[in-house]
Amino acid sequence: MINVSDLKKDFPIFEREINGKRLTYLDSGATSQKPSAVINEMSNVYTNMNANVHRGTYVLSSETTTKYEDVRNKLKDFINAYSSDEIIFTKGCTEGFNFLANSICKELSAGDEIILSEIEHHANIIPWQMVAEKYNLKINYINITKSFDLDLDHFESLLNSKTKVVSIVGESNMSGMLPDIQKMNSLVKEKTDAIYIVDGAQLVPHRKIDVQELGIDFICVSGHKMLGPTGIGVVWGRKELLEKLDPVYGGGDMIEEVFYDSATWAPVPHKFEAGTPPYVEAIGLGAAVDYLSSLNMKNVEKHSDDLRIYAKNKLENIKGLNVVHTNSKVAGCTFAMSVNGVHATDISLMLDTFGVAVRAGHHCVQPFHRKLNLDATFRATGYIYNDEEDFDILSDAIEESIKILT
Amino acid sequence: MSIEEKVEDYKKTLAMFPNPQEKYQYLIEQAKKNEDFPQELRIDEFKVNGCQSQVWLVPEEKKDKLYFKSDSDALIAKGLVTLIASIYSNEAPKDIANSKIDLMEEFELGVILSPARRNGAFSMLKTIKEFSQKLAN
Repeated sequence: MINVSDLKKDFPIFEREINGKRLTYLDSGATSQKPSAVINEMSNVYTNMNANVHRGTYVLSSETTTKYEDVRNKLKDFINAYSSDEIIFTKGCTEGFNFLANSICKELSAGDEIILSEIEHHANIIPWQMVAEKYNLKINYINITKSFDLDLDHFESLLNSKTKVVSIVGESNMSGMLPDIQKMNSLVKEKTDAIYIVDGAQLVPHRKIDVQELGIDFICVSGHKMLGPTGIGVVWGRKELLEKLDPVYGGGDMIEEVFYDSATWAPVPHKFEAGTPPYVEAIGLGAAVDYLSSLNMKNVEKHSDDLRIYAKNKLENIKGLNVVHTNSKVAGCTFAMSVNGVHATDISLMLDTFGVAVRAGHHCVQPFHRKLNLDATFRATGYIYNDEEDFDILSDAIEESIKILT
Repeated sequence: MSIEEKVEDYKKTLAMFPNPQEKYQYLIEQAKKNEDFPQELRIDEFKVNGCQSQVWLVPEEKKDKLYFKSDSDALIAKGLVTLIASIYSNEAPKDIANSKIDLMEEFELGVILSPARRNGAFSMLKTIKEFSQKLAN
């Protein structure tokens, strides 16, 4: 069980007041707040041991390198990877998708197909569009049903011998939908030789993930959405697949030998990590993983599920509020909302005056907003430091804002 | 009234509302009073880029003076653009182009407007200034 009032004490930002009100932070889908453990660990590295990793033959560099490389082990355990070599550090999920799209697709043939869904984040659309144009590949999108879930029959109908990549969100940053990854991955493996990639940006912060059990090939992870700092993320991939992939970025640290006319690559994972890595951020992410592990991800998951049920009931009972949220029994605590005739930015500005932080816009899911005929929505997402009171405050503030704005 | 006098006037009015919610409510009232924007002018040509919501500004020249019609699909942005349009309307292009006044600083809107909206307000001002500059030349 997570005791939110105790846990909040670990997050210094909650000492702040906004517009004279307690901070009701419901924008963790955009970025999570950071516990002191993460802030202090990063400060500790800069204060006591900062040196570039993998290069120095002196104490500071050795300590920093050990700490940095140890984060791979933490992440290996966190998602149950087969080996810590399968943990590739990136700047974040977006860079992860750009790396995978560029590296995977250059081996494909013209006419090969990629499957995405209609509700993907732009980070899982644009990189594929860019390479699809370059290599003449086709992108198919899985339809979303009226209850904001994936249309699995449509998905099955898209699978064929030309399908080479299936890249699907693990938890929707708009409707909270949690696709049945195991089932979808099994269908892919049964009918095609395609690889299955999961966008784990929202999934990994909230749920216990076991990549071996899921049977997937790759997952992209964002550090800052799971209590870690910005500028750090992870791509996990099966080692045998990673070994076949070529690096996308060249430079220092990713090489074995360099000649004037050619070079050979360092083994996985380093061949994908050119240049000085964001090692302090990676160490910060390690502290975030320790923090989440100490809570036990099963508890984090339960907290999210309980809060989601409470919030769903609360929000769906507000008169005049349209809630874009799946009806599935289990889903993420994420609610995109709109009010007829009221602009999402007006509502979110008004909510701010009540100390409530939500995001307004298209949340990087523009095509799906267009499909729903919505210019923008405002979105509330709950995390470990949110409780029922936060959603009570949100609901009251939404009702007050609607009154003012209509 | 000169641009500076109008700004001073709005400054006094806004100062009467100490908290952001009241300031927004004031802007919403201004928006609601601004009802005569023709639907057919809601076109890309008059759209102000860089705003989170859609904002339109239509300049009109009458007897050497400039007037601005404004609209937005969001109320608070509409209130803001209404206010800005009224400050620069009924002024000579040269006076608008030469005006050095920093509205955002004057109105102390920095705190209540997020950076994205600040950009939006800057874009509104930029549109007005550019049009005036063109005519003044």
